[in-house]
Amino acid sequence: MNAALYKNMLKVYGKTIISYSVGSALYLLLIIGIYPSIAKSKGMEQMLQQMPKQLLKAFDLHTGIGTIEQFMAGEYYSLLFLLILSVYCVLIANQLMARLIDRGAIAYLLATPNSRRTIATTQAFVLLTGVIAIVAAIIVAGIVGTRWLAADHALNHAAFLKMNMVGMLLFFAVSGYSFFFSAIVSDEKQALALSGGITFLFYSFDLAGKLTEKLEWLRHFSLFSAFRPAEIVQGQTELLPVCVLLGAVGLISYIAAIIAFSKRDLAV
Amino acid sequence: MIEVKGLTKHFANQKGIFDVSFTVERGEVFGFLGPNGAGKSTTIRHLLGFMKPTKGTARINGHDCWREASIVQKYVGYLPGEISFLEGMTGMDFLNLLAGMRRMTDFTYRNELIERLQFDVDTPIRKMSKGMKQKVGIVAAFMHDPEVIILDEPTSGLDPLMQQTFIQIVLEEKKRGKTLFMSSHSFPEIERTCDRAAIIKNGRIVAINNVHELQSMQRKLFDITLASEQEAQALAQSSLDIVEHDGVRVRIAVQGNYNAFLAELTKYKVQNVDMHVQSLEDIFMNYYDKRRDGQ
Repeated sequence: MNAALYKNMLKVYGKTIISYSVGSALYLLLIIGIYPSIAKSKGMEQMLQQMPKQLLKAFDLHTGIGTIEQFMAGEYYSLLFLLILSVYCVLIANQLMARLIDRGAIAYLLATPNSRRTIATTQAFVLLTGVIAIVAAIIVAGIVGTRWLAADHALNHAAFLKMNMVGMLLFFAVSGYSFFFSAIVSDEKQALALSGGITFLFYSFDLAGKLTEKLEWLRHFSLFSAFRPAEIVQGQTELLPVCVLLGAVGLISYIAAIIAFSKRDLAV
Repeated sequence: MIEVKGLTKHFANQKGIFDVSFTVERGEVFGFLGPNGAGKSTTIRHLLGFMKPTKGTARINGHDCWREASIVQKYVGYLPGEISFLEGMTGMDFLNLLAGMRRMTDFTYRNELIERLQFDVDTPIRKMSKGMKQKVGIVAAFMHDPEVIILDEPTSGLDPLMQQTFIQIVLEEKKRGKTLFMSSHSFPEIERTCDRAAIIKNGRIVAINNVHELQSMQRKLFDITLASEQEAQALAQSSLDIVEHDGVRVRIAVQGNYNAFLAELTKYKVQNVDMHVQSLEDIFMNYYDKRRDGQ
């Protein structure tokens, strides 16, 4: 980890990280804002009951929207949360390594007396700082927003935090493999295609598996199925194995990325 | 100071560098000449520890360039051949970043260089012209006062005036006892700065020469315009190496034998002289042909 590089990278990517954070917080506030009116109308719950089970499952609404956490899980954590953080991880991971390698700018950084390991580790921390900042902004928005916009409804803090924690670990893993591809490939577009493609496949497998019972097995191949927000807030999932799995995938990806980058030839 | 021994790197497409060996003494300015794709940049990438040799070693100040890259970087200043910086910052931000990563504390030389190269460091990098970026790169290579300076095509993108300034900076560094290694296409640049030069082609070192020896290999082409066609005819009959003869114009190739050339010219009424310096690639070809003839 090199302090000067970290500080500079934060300066360059700070705006991006802040806009992702603000954007995701605002979306969550919007969801919270509409919850009181939905909770009041009994019709919504009835309508949901008439919908096909698989469809509800696909959008994490199968446990109902009885509490505000459930509503957030269904309306936010199963779609927008995944989308925003996936885009952040894939794009920024790509820019932090593959773009510098592809364009040759990494040569200047490597020409300073810092090992490749130090430089890659610093870039990894920059990426992770963003993931943490975005999730932190969402947590704050959730807690403050509920008090402000849905004051009649009590947020179950423990359940809400657990959901965010597992969500963050999911994106620790996603950012991990994105960073790995970004560090081993010499072509920016190729790195983007790899990490973007795999993320899209993971998401599609998970969604298809939820929609069709016949394709349920597909979910075994998707990292995204480890994150089940609706079940987490209901307290229906065993969290430890999920956390260990996601943590391990992330950690191994980052370590592999840093080692592979230290040993590879760079035509810069 | 720089010691390359049997350096070999195989690439998938049969290309690469093969058994490259040379040494550069402390305080020497060493030129590295070769056409595009000959292996100049590949060799430099090994010196910087960006690539792992298939065989052989590259050492700077006794340290292995691959295994001890981060130690080697302490002594080295580097100007990459392709200019590409980090995005979203100004020239000054970029220089500050590198200074921070080097834990640099003395900024006098950096400021002096900025002053001499005359550019606005507060311009955002994406708005800089190629030449301006090259100046930022030059400052980045020299600012920490390194013992060894490695320059890959340093004057590309600089206007002639700045090329002069750059050559001056190189000569000053040489006087201060720095070791410089520079690759180039430009013969005049090597001619004015380097003590010795290596010629690389198809990944192999063809020759390592004293620069003055190389100079004598360089053929120069003179276009002589004479007063009359008769005179041109006479000149074309002379023993000089006539390349072309057209009306009052005669093109003569001269390689080292300047006196004979001048003596011949004084016999005529010369109205104009144009000189073309032979391209470096032609010198190489010439050199190869000679070697082949000799064998």
